[in-house]
Amino acid sequence: MLTTSITPGARFVDPVVLSRIGNLELVARYVVDGFINGMHRSPYFGASVDFAEHRGYVAGDDIRRVDWRLYARTDRFYIKEYEADTNSNFSTLLDVSRSMGFGSRGVTKLEYAKMLAGCLTYLVHKQRDRVGLVAFDSDIVEHVPPSAKHMDVVLHTLDKLKPSAPGSLRAPLHKMAEHFGRRGLLVLISDLYEEPDAVLEAIGPLRFRGNDIVVFHMLDPAELDFTFDSPSAFEDLETGEQIPIVPEALADQYRSLVRAHIDGLQERFSANRIDYTVVNTSQPLDHALFSYLTTRERLTRVR
Amino acid sequence: MSFLTPLFLVGLAGLAIPVIIHLIQRERKNVVHFPSLMFLQRIPYQSVQRRRIRNWPLLLLRLAALALIVAAFARPFFRRAELAQAAAQGAREVVVLIDKSYSMAYGDRWSRAVAQAHDQIGKIGPTDRASVVFFSSGADVALRSTPDRGRLNAAVNVGKPGSGATRYGPALKLAGSIASESALPRRDVVLISDFQRAGWQGAEGVRLPDGVTLIPIAIGDSDTSNVSVTPVSLQRSTFSEQDRVTVTGGVTNHGSKPVSNLEVSLEVDGRVVETTRVSAEPNSSASVTFAPFTPAGRDTRGAIRIANDALPLDNAFFFTVSPKEPVRIVIAQRPGAAADSNLYLARALAIGEAPPFDITTRSVETLTPDVLQRASVVIVNDAPIAQFTAERLGGFVAKGGGVLIALGDHGTWPAATGPGDILPAVPGQPVDRTTGPAARLGALEYGNPIFEPFRAPRTGDFSGARFYSYRAATPVKDAQILARYDDGAPALLERRVGNGRVLLWTSSFDLRGNELPLKSVFLPFIHRMVTTLASYAERPSWLSVGDVLEAAPGAPVPGASRQVVPRVVLTPSGERVTLDGEGPDVLELAEQGFYEVRGQGRDAAPPRTVASNIDLAESDLTAMDPQEVVAGVMGRAGGAAPAGTNLTATDLEQERAQRIWWYLLFAGVVVLGLETLIGNRVSRKGPIPL
Repeated sequence: MLTTSITPGARFVDPVVLSRIGNLELVARYVVDGFINGMHRSPYFGASVDFAEHRGYVAGDDIRRVDWRLYARTDRFYIKEYEADTNSNFSTLLDVSRSMGFGSRGVTKLEYAKMLAGCLTYLVHKQRDRVGLVAFDSDIVEHVPPSAKHMDVVLHTLDKLKPSAPGSLRAPLHKMAEHFGRRGLLVLISDLYEEPDAVLEAIGPLRFRGNDIVVFHMLDPAELDFTFDSPSAFEDLETGEQIPIVPEALADQYRSLVRAHIDGLQERFSANRIDYTVVNTSQPLDHALFSYLTTRERLTRVR
Repeated sequence: MSFLTPLFLVGLAGLAIPVIIHLIQRERKNVVHFPSLMFLQRIPYQSVQRRRIRNWPLLLLRLAALALIVAAFARPFFRRAELAQAAAQGAREVVVLIDKSYSMAYGDRWSRAVAQAHDQIGKIGPTDRASVVFFSSGADVALRSTPDRGRLNAAVNVGKPGSGATRYGPALKLAGSIASESALPRRDVVLISDFQRAGWQGAEGVRLPDGVTLIPIAIGDSDTSNVSVTPVSLQRSTFSEQDRVTVTGGVTNHGSKPVSNLEVSLEVDGRVVETTRVSAEPNSSASVTFAPFTPAGRDTRGAIRIANDALPLDNAFFFTVSPKEPVRIVIAQRPGAAADSNLYLARALAIGEAPPFDITTRSVETLTPDVLQRASVVIVNDAPIAQFTAERLGGFVAKGGGVLIALGDHGTWPAATGPGDILPAVPGQPVDRTTGPAARLGALEYGNPIFEPFRAPRTGDFSGARFYSYRAATPVKDAQILARYDDGAPALLERRVGNGRVLLWTSSFDLRGNELPLKSVFLPFIHRMVTTLASYAERPSWLSVGDVLEAAPGAPVPGASRQVVPRVVLTPSGERVTLDGEGPDVLELAEQGFYEVRGQGRDAAPPRTVASNIDLAESDLTAMDPQEVVAGVMGRAGGAAPAGTNLTATDLEQERAQRIWWYLLFAGVVVLGLETLIGNRVSRKGPIPL
């Protein structure tokens, strides 16, 4: 079912409909096509035609990059830097813990995340960037190193991922930090069921290594709105623990807690220059994609 | 408050069921898989509201319904003391029923009954009212609804045991009537009796009004012994042309010990004629036959007596015997009739013991007033009647005589008016049925006393007799056709004239006109006609207390007027009761012994003696459970037994009497219905009923 969005020029497709398409590449192509190539910039400065800035010469710099014209005017050595319009590494860090298997409206969070990862991978691949994938729960489950040739591998790996074990962020993300020797763009897709400080602490090593990190916080509408009505025993998908719940009685408290959690994450990620987007799985996939890319574009220009 | 089955109160634990259902069962059925309980666990446990009741009215309704039902099953009741305390307010209407049947004369029962009655009267308050009713087979109000204790006690003191048998029905009906007329809030009927089994024949249709409590007070003895005489058997025989009577009497031992060498006497006219001894085993009877005696005259008094014991009334049995009195019949035939013209008629009437018939045959011309004075029935057999004879017969019938006229071939009757106009029909011409099929008797009036014995099948076939000739007859206005031939013509007609009656037989009593004399029904048919004309009725040798003595004479006296004349009745106790036609014409026998009925005036009938005996069923002193009476008249066993009596109502009886469980159960069901309504409404609004 195609739905017309209020956003001009964008086609927002119901994720439930997309989930019925078995071929993830087809989904990604269907969603990504139409976005403008070149919106994605390399995080590296280098030899390129796009001037970035001048900086002072330090010993060891290539004297070929000295701006002699500026030297003539100022009698100082400046190095002329350009935007390095080079190929970058793009990896999707996908949480496949059991909690990601939750879905209240026909599509689970993991399915949505897989489509989102597929779309992003497809998008980045079209930019000639190297694409990779790391799936994790409490440990690393799948690892596809970034490569320009790994588009199909990534999609294939995404396709076969299933939630199977309880998850955590710290151990697998710290482990990944040791593997990513080259800086790149890391997209973390998770439901982030940990304290904001713990989440930030888990992401820290990745960020310290110079990776540009984008966090997609996957949440089902039921997790956001808590629309349950009948008293039930709520069972934790990861631990199996059950507690009796009267939803009507605590829905407001729950929603405020979730809101506080999101706000806490938002605050901490902003402070650490980490892009953070809450993704509601009831919203169209390209809507999330669109909002993310426009945010990236804005941030790129600011930089 | 007490409980008959308190173990059911354990069911109150069921009050937890609604909460358990809400807190446990419903949640177990509905498990929601949720990504993480991280946030839910942060909410304090109380705020999950597992124990919060959000719809208190609904929960309270459910709990109330369960509690009511459980309480109903526990069958609560208030003990007497509690009830008495609770119901100690409000004026009472008390009806004291005192049994005065002759069994109350046993030992000191009567004095104990009187003491109990005084005790009950002593309990009435200044605003209470009480009535005193004595009863046996009937019930009499001694004093109706008064608060005056003095008068009530005096009324009790006046009573004494009578000769009647115990019947609770009339007394309870009367008590119910008195209680229902009262406007006082509390109404009690106190029944003081020895509660003989023989006095209660089931509920007898008696039901006390709602709100009336029956309080039985048993005046019984644990061990009783009583010997009573039994009704006698009278065997008649004839010896030397004298009527002799053989009396067989007996005794019944109602006690638990054997009786030996008990002296039994036969008295005739107040004189002991024979004494013998018998022995009787416990709860059995023995009989004794006395030597025959000859009744000296009409209504000879006889009695069987035994030695007195604790209950003297049933130690004597009274009877009367009379010599046989034949029905005097005059057969009038035409002058010059054949000698055998009355053969079948005379032979049929010659056979008969009860009553015997005294037959006189004479010419119709010789029916003089003297002859008619001595006769009860005149049979005019195939004879022409002259005017003066018709008038004499008319006078005879008017005084109570009976006339049977067989028309035959020669029978005629003058077309008379006045005293001679007694014929039921106007005789017509002979009808010849010798050609073609003979006539047969068709429709018979079985409701008439003549044909009543032949009503049942195989008790007499009149249709087997063929009739070759009979006389046509045109019924008069007030005549009744009792039998018809198959062509519808009257065969036998009846007409009442004055105190007598006339029968007209349109055929003959010999073989010239029909074959009926050869049939087996002929003899009883003739007997029934004659006894009916003579108004003969066999008198019983004794009556029972409670029976009614009719003022009118039982048997007609030939020639005497049947007009009701003043009569005086002498009771066994010597009281004179006059039945003069202005008051009631009957007298209920109330005493044991001989009643003598005497007429007054010139044409009065001879004195008549009637033996009166008590109901010997009352001699059986076997007692019953008073609660049986209570249950019968109140629909439940619930009469309160006052302290000091030998009756103690069990918890079960008290609980049954109050029936609180029924109201609790009803209330529980109503509350459940209400809960269903509210629950449905709540469930439409939200998923959680509590």
